[in-house]
Amino acid sequence: MSRPSLAPGLDGTRPAPTNPEPNLVAARPARFGLRLDLWSLIWIGATLILVFLVVAPMLRLLISSFQSTETGAFTVSNYVAAYANQRRLIGLGNSLLYGAAVVAVSIAFAVPLAWAVARTDMPGKGVVRATVLGAFITPSYLGAIGWILLAGPNAGWINRIWMALTGSHAGVFNVYSFGGLVLVTALYAFPYIFVFTADALDRVSSEMEEAAHILGMSPLRTVFKVTLPLVLPAILGGSIIVFLDTVALFGTPAVIALPARINIMTLQLWQFFEFPVRAEAAAAYAVPLVLITIAMLGLQKLILGRKGYVSLSGKSGGRQLMKLGKLRWVVLAGCLVVCALAVFLPYAALAQAAFSRAWGQGFSFANLTLSNFAYLFNDGSSRQVILNTFVYSAATACVAVVLALIVAYVVSRRLVIGGGILSALCMAPLVVPGIVLAIGFYAVYSSPPFALYGTAAILVLGFTTRFLPIAFANCMAGLRSLNPEMEEAVRILGGSRLLAVRRVVVPLLKKSLVGTWLLVFIPASRELSTAIFLVAAKTRVISVLILDLSENGSFELLAALGFFLLGVTILIVLIGYRLVGRDFLLRRA
Amino acid sequence: MRMANWAVSLLAAIGIATLAVSGASAQTEHEKQLYEAAKKEGSVTWYSGILDQQICDQIGQAFQAKYPGIQFSVIKTTSQVAFQRLLQDLKAGQVQADVFTTTDIGHMLFLKSKDQLVQYEPDNEAGMAKAVQNVDPDGYYHTGWVGLSAIVYNTNKVKPADVPKDWPDLTDAKWQNQITFGSPNYSGMVGVWTVAMAERYGWDYFTKLNTLNPQIGRSIDDSVTVLNSGERIVGMGNPATAIRSAAKGNPLAVVYPSSGTLMVISPSAIIKGTTHPNAAKLFMEFATGPEYSKILAQNFEQPLRTDVPPSPGAKALADMTLFAPTAQQIEQELPPNKAKWRDTFGM
Repeated sequence: MSRPSLAPGLDGTRPAPTNPEPNLVAARPARFGLRLDLWSLIWIGATLILVFLVVAPMLRLLISSFQSTETGAFTVSNYVAAYANQRRLIGLGNSLLYGAAVVAVSIAFAVPLAWAVARTDMPGKGVVRATVLGAFITPSYLGAIGWILLAGPNAGWINRIWMALTGSHAGVFNVYSFGGLVLVTALYAFPYIFVFTADALDRVSSEMEEAAHILGMSPLRTVFKVTLPLVLPAILGGSIIVFLDTVALFGTPAVIALPARINIMTLQLWQFFEFPVRAEAAAAYAVPLVLITIAMLGLQKLILGRKGYVSLSGKSGGRQLMKLGKLRWVVLAGCLVVCALAVFLPYAALAQAAFSRAWGQGFSFANLTLSNFAYLFNDGSSRQVILNTFVYSAATACVAVVLALIVAYVVSRRLVIGGGILSALCMAPLVVPGIVLAIGFYAVYSSPPFALYGTAAILVLGFTTRFLPIAFANCMAGLRSLNPEMEEAVRILGGSRLLAVRRVVVPLLKKSLVGTWLLVFIPASRELSTAIFLVAAKTRVISVLILDLSENGSFELLAALGFFLLGVTILIVLIGYRLVGRDFLLRRA
Repeated sequence: MRMANWAVSLLAAIGIATLAVSGASAQTEHEKQLYEAAKKEGSVTWYSGILDQQICDQIGQAFQAKYPGIQFSVIKTTSQVAFQRLLQDLKAGQVQADVFTTTDIGHMLFLKSKDQLVQYEPDNEAGMAKAVQNVDPDGYYHTGWVGLSAIVYNTNKVKPADVPKDWPDLTDAKWQNQITFGSPNYSGMVGVWTVAMAERYGWDYFTKLNTLNPQIGRSIDDSVTVLNSGERIVGMGNPATAIRSAAKGNPLAVVYPSSGTLMVISPSAIIKGTTHPNAAKLFMEFATGPEYSKILAQNFEQPLRTDVPPSPGAKALADMTLFAPTAQQIEQELPPNKAKWRDTFGM
């Protein structure tokens, strides 16, 4: 099998060896030229868009980190301001620890769930998948408050029940602790790893598992020695996203880490935006995060090494679900425990607010109402905000998936030199604090010649940049599992690369691409830091509304909005299942 | 539901029409001139770091109803974001905001020092409460909103006899594990509170508070959520947020401290270089006039004028003892206070 060539220009012009009709060769150059141009055009275009979306704001970030706030002259004082302080360094250290702990807990939640949903005959898979994605859309602020209502040391439900049962004066759980912070963050971050892993497990055929079985390996050992190692790229890809997302997270730490007095980097970073604003120092504080991202990618490469992770090849193998027998109920119970922690319990606590006139009064029939929901539907501006959010997030997801697929293809099939740089570029935006990125965006795109301010386009572009890493990581994981020989077959038969992508790669990765779409759509719909800088009166989104509601103390409406988002997400997942077919998200057998 | 909606919109329309009529009858010569000139400019844009989108929209609708022919747009974000945006606009030489309102008076001091503001003294300022008049002796910026800090508590959990009356009562040992407030590192309002408390009672006030194991949130508004959840029962908070939540039936009440409610003025100013100078002045008149204050009161915010009564349960500015550190004092004392805060509370 020939290796993919390095330069795309050579590909198109290489004469197809199996060309059956030599007399057509003379007529070829023109057609080849066209094909070549189209493909080159696409990847050159993708690279240009990437430059537009990522490089411009990132470059600005880097430059401004070396500029004086007052004069704009070159200086390293921003780095001194950002790092020459023990508290800042402790914050950075805590953040890295926090990120690592959240990754560990997320893997513990996500991988068993993904395996149960994708590889076993466990019942109730639809409920589990839909609930996990429901957890994912929960705004971090709301999820954190839900858990404060459950595990607040004084008034948390769990603690009150404990105190009532045992007569003790102190509760058992304190959400205001490092453990509480990690748990609550992981509960709303593990869906990243879940979707990555479940997608990958869906693609793994059973041939190797069967081989292991024939050689006498026990089913459990097979899972750990054969199945999971095959999806390692997906687990790692998801873990990197969770790590970067956690390190840059502000919402949950603001509600939990601050009262717990845990010093986290993003809490420090936020202070740079209090007056006098030191955006330059914030930029300097953020630059090392980009280096961490690059280090993570290096680590990933090292772990994956040169091993093969191809699970989809030309000969499609069957996929046998593991028969769990009676155990399937135990596995389901395990999955439901995770669902309960992420959704059922906190939403039960939030229901007290969403269905109350005045939630501070506690539960009573007189206090019950649907008026909070009615308000959301009847109020014209709330309706507009909800509609905006879904339209922009959907547009973002579409743009990001297409762009990420093209770049991931170019990188994974080694069509260009410097693919590593392209990868790093695609991964960097996630770790740059949204507000820093947004300032760069606003500076570059609000003034002429772009003059995008006030348009939906600037929000979609901002969100696309921010969530491109997720789409990219997932596409890379998908492409790694795809044997290039199928695309080679298309090429050998005279088809263009474009044809290979369109007719082979996309159909094979269909499920994965829809998963990727959801993985961009959901975080985009809850993104605050980029949005707050780029919205105009007519382009407001839910996250900004949530901030308004939380600031004016309208927690009843806020909770109702959370329920609405949960419901809509479950609906979208169900529609996704209808569109892509029975074998997709809610796979039954 | 449909019927109720219809009725609400009708009422709102009548309300706006009434405002418009009463406003129109009160038009002065100066106002008429501004209006004529503003009509030629056609529009006005407000960068608001105060209130929420809904209230800002109501203000816009009332303004347009009173002055037909002038398109009003409001961009409501947080003050820091609005200020950053404004700076970017000024850097690019594209003034988009005609009027800017911020919770952080430091922004105005900065803009004034850079000669980016237009000097204008609205006629209507004379009708405002004395305490909020003439924030800037040179007349560059004027009160657009006041944020108050008072004592708030959960009425279900605090016995009437125990209700704190004044700031020092918050340091009482009975509030061990029961008290909550924000952080000056994340909230300007809390920052000013530290300046005021340190001046009156010394930094020792906060050292005492720390021994009570307080729950420290971010903004001043977090208190209302924490008190409603029952996790803490007394705190320092914004009366407007507490009264709004109490009006729905939540178990909250406000104590205006006997020695003084803390007031922080959020100023509004016209940005130099605006292409709508007259429309901007007209909006400054509107924002110091009665219609604006009425909208504030309807939304449980503090009205700025003496001729507009506050929302039920709230006190008028004229009826409370107020304490307001000056901009210079805040600028000087806030940064060291933030550092002291980190040393005292560890965050």
